[in-house]
Amino acid sequence: MTALVTLAGVYNTPVFGIERSREQQLNSRALEQFLVSVEKRAFKIAQLGLRNDDDALDAVQDAMMKLVQSYGSRAEDEWRPLFYRILANRIRDLQRRRTVRGRFMAWLPTRDEENDEEIDLVAQAPSPELTPARRLELDEAIGALETAVAELPPRQQQAFLLRSLEGLDVGETASAMGCSEGSVKTHYFRALASLRARLGEVF
Amino acid sequence: MSGKPEDGTEFEKRAREVLEESTARLDGRTLSRLTQARHAALGQLQRPVRQRWFAWIPAGAAAAAALAVIMWSGQGTESGSEPALSLSPAEDLEMLADAPEFVDEGEDLEFYEWAAGEVES
Repeated sequence: MTALVTLAGVYNTPVFGIERSREQQLNSRALEQFLVSVEKRAFKIAQLGLRNDDDALDAVQDAMMKLVQSYGSRAEDEWRPLFYRILANRIRDLQRRRTVRGRFMAWLPTRDEENDEEIDLVAQAPSPELTPARRLELDEAIGALETAVAELPPRQQQAFLLRSLEGLDVGETASAMGCSEGSVKTHYFRALASLRARLGEVF
Repeated sequence: MSGKPEDGTEFEKRAREVLEESTARLDGRTLSRLTQARHAALGQLQRPVRQRWFAWIPAGAAAAAALAVIMWSGQGTESGSEPALSLSPAEDLEMLADAPEFVDEGEDLEFYEWAAGEVES
């Protein structure tokens, strides 16, 4: 009987028991909710950093994979800065790769990639909530801001987007960028100054 | 500036509003690919399931072994079980001495009678 009790105790441990599977399900659900909550803004950050949708999607997918694979068991409040740190590293790697590739491709004949792209009817469909005037105003504002942000130096761009778009505070941004809070403040301040100079106080 | 940027200047508020609008306008193809990327990432959590199935093999073997030990050690000790068939050595010898048909021809019956007497004394 004692042996049976001992056996039951062993199989009730989180390693073998139902608790572990339930824990994993909850973790998986929490990870999914987290990824849903960040994926669009993460894509926008990657898109502005890489100026290419496919590369941006690759960077976001890589960051998702890495987070789930390596940090999924970490505390949930650590996921956001970790995810953006992974994403920032991935964006930087792709930027470097592109620079190197650009050096080799510069003297090779290139094809016009824009003409090869398929027309996305869904992307071109007008949003039903906006009046044409408001839509035009937003289109212009988005175009102006995104062009200006895309031309910021990478660290300034990162600080600006993590703070403004993702809403991270200085500490979280520092953790995501792998630098001090003082550096974040400097990068963010310079980014704002540069954007203001280009776009006006209220664009 | 150390807190969240919601309490920033008009410029920061406007920039945030514009960026959020831009994010909300992502096209269907991009949203679909983001969903696929998310599913691929979460799919990694499902892959070890096969390994987890294998992890049950040693657990099952341990359970089977424990059950065998329990059954073996409990044999003959439970009140409801059949009585043991083995007899004491004296009873064995008496049986042999009293039942010469069990003894092969040529065996010394007197020896068994003597041995039974020795065990009883």
